[in-house]
Amino acid sequence: MKNIKNILFAVSALVFASCDNSLELAPEDSLTPTIIFSTEALAGNAINGMYSSMQSSNVLSGIPDTMGEWQSDNVEFVGSFPTFDEIYTYNTLSDNTSILNIWNANYFSINQANMIIKNVPLMNVTTFTAANKDNLVGQARFVRALLYFKLSQMFGKQLKQDPTGASLSVPLVSEPFQGTVNKPSRSTLKEVYDFIEKDLIFARSTITNTAKDKATASAANALLARLYLYQERFPEAIERANDVISAPGITIATNYAFYNATSSEHVFQLQNIAGDSGFAESFSKLYSPTANGGRGDAPFSPNLRAAFESEAGDLRYSLSRIGVDAKNRSSLFTTKYPNGLANTDDPNILRVSEMYLIRAEANFRAGTSKYDTPVRDLNRTRVRASLLPLTTITSLNDILVERRKEFCFEGLRRMDLLRNNLPLRSSAMDNFSKSQPNADKVVFPIPQRERDNNPNLTQNTGY
Amino acid sequence: MRLKFKWIFTLVLALSMQFSFAQEKTVSGVVSDAGGPVPGANVVVKGTKNGVQTDFDGKYSIKAKAGDVLVVSYIGTTNVNVTVGASSVINVKLVSSSQSLEEVVIIGYGTQKRAKVIQASKVIDNSAMENLTVLSPQQMLQGQAAGVQVVQSSGVLGAATVVKIRGNASITAGGRPLYVIDGVPLNDLSFSNAQGGQALNPLLEINPNDIESQTVLKDASATAIYGSRGSNGVILITTKRGKKNQPAKVTFEQTLSVSRATDLLDMMDGTEYRKFKTLRGDNPINFLRNDYDWQAGVTREGVSRGTNLSIAGGSDKTTYYIGFGRSDQQGFIIGNKLTSTTGKISINSDISDKIKVGANLSYSEVDNDRVGSENSTFAPLTAAYLQSPWISPFDATGSLTRLAGFIPNVIAIEKFDTNKAKTTRAFGNVFAEIELFKDLTYKADFGVDRLLLEQKERSLNINTPGGSGYYATGIQNKYVVTNTLNYEKSINKHSFSGIVGSTYEQNDITNAAVSAINFASDLQLNVISGAEKQTTTSSTQNSRLNGYFARATYDFDSKYLFEVSGRRDGSSRFAENRKYGEFWALSGGWNIVNENFMSNLEFISDLKLRGSIGTTGNDRVGDFAFFPLYAGGVNGAYNNNPGFTNTQPENTDYRWEQSKTTNLGLDVAILNNRIRLSIDAYYKKTTDLILNIPIAGSNGFTVIAANAGSMENKGLEFDLSTLNVDTENFKWRTTFNISTNKNKVLELPGASTGADGNRFIAGTNQRAIEGYSINKFFLVRYVGVNAQTGNAEWLDINGVPTTTPRDSDRVIVGDANPDFAGGITNTFNYKNFDLNIFANFSYGNNIFVDGQRFTDNLANDFNKTSKVLDYWTTPGQNAYTPALTSTTRAIFARTSTNQLKDGSYLRINNVTLGYNLDSNIFKESNFFTSARIYVSATNLYTFKSKELAGVDPETTSTVANLGQGETFFTPPQSKNYLLGVKLTF
Repeated sequence: MKNIKNILFAVSALVFASCDNSLELAPEDSLTPTIIFSTEALAGNAINGMYSSMQSSNVLSGIPDTMGEWQSDNVEFVGSFPTFDEIYTYNTLSDNTSILNIWNANYFSINQANMIIKNVPLMNVTTFTAANKDNLVGQARFVRALLYFKLSQMFGKQLKQDPTGASLSVPLVSEPFQGTVNKPSRSTLKEVYDFIEKDLIFARSTITNTAKDKATASAANALLARLYLYQERFPEAIERANDVISAPGITIATNYAFYNATSSEHVFQLQNIAGDSGFAESFSKLYSPTANGGRGDAPFSPNLRAAFESEAGDLRYSLSRIGVDAKNRSSLFTTKYPNGLANTDDPNILRVSEMYLIRAEANFRAGTSKYDTPVRDLNRTRVRASLLPLTTITSLNDILVERRKEFCFEGLRRMDLLRNNLPLRSSAMDNFSKSQPNADKVVFPIPQRERDNNPNLTQNTGY
Repeated sequence: MRLKFKWIFTLVLALSMQFSFAQEKTVSGVVSDAGGPVPGANVVVKGTKNGVQTDFDGKYSIKAKAGDVLVVSYIGTTNVNVTVGASSVINVKLVSSSQSLEEVVIIGYGTQKRAKVIQASKVIDNSAMENLTVLSPQQMLQGQAAGVQVVQSSGVLGAATVVKIRGNASITAGGRPLYVIDGVPLNDLSFSNAQGGQALNPLLEINPNDIESQTVLKDASATAIYGSRGSNGVILITTKRGKKNQPAKVTFEQTLSVSRATDLLDMMDGTEYRKFKTLRGDNPINFLRNDYDWQAGVTREGVSRGTNLSIAGGSDKTTYYIGFGRSDQQGFIIGNKLTSTTGKISINSDISDKIKVGANLSYSEVDNDRVGSENSTFAPLTAAYLQSPWISPFDATGSLTRLAGFIPNVIAIEKFDTNKAKTTRAFGNVFAEIELFKDLTYKADFGVDRLLLEQKERSLNINTPGGSGYYATGIQNKYVVTNTLNYEKSINKHSFSGIVGSTYEQNDITNAAVSAINFASDLQLNVISGAEKQTTTSSTQNSRLNGYFARATYDFDSKYLFEVSGRRDGSSRFAENRKYGEFWALSGGWNIVNENFMSNLEFISDLKLRGSIGTTGNDRVGDFAFFPLYAGGVNGAYNNNPGFTNTQPENTDYRWEQSKTTNLGLDVAILNNRIRLSIDAYYKKTTDLILNIPIAGSNGFTVIAANAGSMENKGLEFDLSTLNVDTENFKWRTTFNISTNKNKVLELPGASTGADGNRFIAGTNQRAIEGYSINKFFLVRYVGVNAQTGNAEWLDINGVPTTTPRDSDRVIVGDANPDFAGGITNTFNYKNFDLNIFANFSYGNNIFVDGQRFTDNLANDFNKTSKVLDYWTTPGQNAYTPALTSTTRAIFARTSTNQLKDGSYLRINNVTLGYNLDSNIFKESNFFTSARIYVSATNLYTFKSKELAGVDPETTSTVANLGQGETFFTPPQSKNYLLGVKLTF
């Protein structure tokens, strides 16, 4: 009996003894920033994480670009999702959660970039060379520029509608979040453009990466070419477009097999693969008919079909299939993003065809023929589509029509119209008057939640 | 005043007493308790030595005179005094002693005599619950205790339950109480998928039939000993055990029930829908005519069966209880089925006069054939509401077919697809208790809670082209080691008791999931057969808790009672230097009834004043919320390369939420406990609230966690039980409880500031705003349709009618919290019949019917409610809906107070009529000892406001604190009719 007591005392003394150490747990699959920025390899993994965050359908995988197509004349919205319908019918409200999600997801990715831009230069690892650091920082600055460029197109007036550039654009955040909550006010479009240009100029001279699933120096040049075109800085646009065209490994593809494949056509192509997360509501989901696992929400608009049908034989019109849409009708859908089940289709961020058309347009509008004539540059994509080459460009419209057919469903249409002060829809279409380049609801609202939490943000007119 | 009281008491006494004349005769009868006849009970004529014991069948026979009082007593039950009247048959029903003053009440890490309890707690024993057909332990608490609010989140089988004790003590951290079963704190993390609504109730594996009692601990003096987990209250579940010296008692119960929906929305049929679309100006060329009644298609009368078997008994040293339960439930929504099989064994033994050992072990399997609910187009009821009524689930040949569009064919989904969640859970504890010295006992307790969740989904080709498959497991492994030293001593009139102890809890959760698409054949059932793999994940969640606790009590002559308790807790969930926290409570009580000056007030059988103050904490936050995180895995990986995404900023100051509670209580019982009343008043202030402070998304994150802010809850609670009529053949008991809780958010530093200058934490339609309750609705005010213009009108921020409302016009309107809530149970016994009527109620709360955004939407193509057809056409007309040509048509259904309804209700929750077969019938049989047949109806009728037509007032589309009282096509509670038989052998 006595023994039992002694044993119990001993046992209890043991168990009573503190287990303090056991409280020091750490997550088993996440690392701290201190560890991430301790080796070159892990810092490189943070770069992967930055691209991964952009796979979100709210960033590069579909919704923002598709919204632009809905606002303009390429794509119909026949689904029932109210927040998409609002945008399609120009009834957008400031509490539109899809717009809020875009805002938040883009700034989340921008923060990934800012973490790298801030922390990589501070790393004290002898084997990590300055050039290698700059390669990472350059990629991060490219990403930051790309996202601010896209945000500025959605949330503020464009240069053509306010040539001073004094219109409010989005807040510029250039530091990573370190615990201090900031309430930045909106920068002007000019400030945003200057910021983007600086980032891209840094990126074009520092990025050594050449794999096209990530940013390259050519991608920075290509984005600069687009920026300069939008700013109507034609000579600079020509130079940067030409940099891309003449870069090794980049040539215009001979057919359309480049969609969802690696190809010399691409300058920067985000790779979505099965198993990565974030792109549930991607291009694939929106643009695929229900039989192919899509929602059947976004078929060709009759207006786009008419544009293709006005010049028969365009191979790009054949990048389509007929399927049942969300309204239970038979509609025409694009096949640029065919996998509505796995949603793994790759967003085409920058392709060389755009560079030819930028060079064509910039030369045409500047009255020059630097590196090649506008009509020859224009005809490259026409001929690939099995159309007869034009002998001459009669008006800017020839180039815009070509861009429309080449890049439909790829999110460039809305800006092509706005930067030329054109209404987003043609007069026969619904909501023509609300789609005028200066109309309120052409510009997205600053999300209500964002303004609730940041009183320094001015709302756009009409919201 | 006093005269009046006296008069009432006299009347009550007169009503209940039997007057008769003295003449000695033989009185006989049966002594029984809730479980049937009680052998070995003592029956004594009061004031004499004349006494007998009941026989094996609970029968007795004794000589007594009319007017004599028989005292019937039995271990573990309250003594019953019966006055002998004209009849010579007196059957006595013993009530288990949980209602007795001598009763031993379960408290944290111990027990106390009820007379010495000065904590604010409420015991709900199984007699209150035995007529209720419930699936989970939480449901048994509904309407049974003041200050305990229970809301079933939906009518889907196994739906999560929201239990609130004394309101919300948190905003963004968990607000639910801690559950402790036989001393083992349970895991109640839901890790099943939400599927549009809420994850499943994490306590489904506990068979309510195995529960002896539940004790709800409310104030700090009761919960401080649970330290960092006491803030939201604690529920102690005690499972059934055998009784000493009791021959084996076998109880068998079988039930059969049907269930259907309580209330559904009235939606348009095809004809109405076409009419509406025509009037709206849609082109009839696009109209379909494949009309189908989707609501009828997805609902049914569910038939359910339940079986329970238990064997309990004991020798003078060892007791045992063996329980088995099987339940096959069919929900009123097609495809919803739940099968649970539970087994439990409990053994307790005095292996010497100094050493006791015991073990409880439960094992259960719950197989849930799930359906989605609420915010999912795959949810049968949601889809049935929204699907256009001119679309049929069948094609021209009459076969189920895939439907185009946003809303899938839910009938085909429920018919062909698999959607299962199966849990296997083992939980229990073993303990040894040894008396080290006189009055000093040492106890070691080892508890486990191990759960395996398997979720399996398989969608066939007809519903998902190529088919899809998903399989996930969650394994939870928890163990708890608790050591305590217990001391008890009485010297003359001084009584002391003390307990010190330590406890260590370790909880490890592993989740894994795989999914794939593109199957060659529908006959292939597993993920391996899908050609394209989608997800492969496995992850872990770990937490540790280290606790040291103590409690000391002292009382003088059972008159003056004092208690002090404390706990030091360390948790892995908090930041480096914030892991440890201390919690304490002080309380005192005065048993006035034991004072000499009360001795001539004999009608007062209990009078006790209680008071306490103390602190508790809340650790219901995720693991590693303070850690700066670069998350790997699927979130970071890019194009087959590993990566990391910065998902969480660091918080070095992350610590507990703390609540400080003051409680004042009064217990009164009069007329030998025929009327008992407990009143509690409390004030609870919670500080260091863990807030997910919303920040501008431009920071890269949308929320940051911080300990900021404070909140208070204050309230009054009344628990009343009365024995209204107590005659030989007829008895009428009432238990009634009502409580109020006023919640107020005091400070939210760092939170957003609204245009009105208030700081707030935003939900979707609700806000927790400084100076107001946490569940304030924040909406644009809807006025109605202008009879002259036919436009819908709202009020702008200045109260001026407008047809273009903006978000900046939102104001504070309505509250999801009731002014008061409670329950009332009336039990009538007439001869062998018993009738139990239980109603619960809630008053003064609002319900936000979010689904109206869709069902009232005049612009889109979803189906609408029929009342939308009441649209404006001519000036002077009072219509529900604006003119179909109005500019306000498109925004009519926008969120506004048009969706905000009066949520007050009184629900006839349960009516049970039972008949106990006369025990004489079993005289010849050596087999049965008692038999009971009963019928019961659940959710028989609900009194509610007219504007809630089609909407169940008991609803919530979230189990989180913010967002209560909102419904987005929440499936209503079911109405059940049940037939049951209970036999004891």
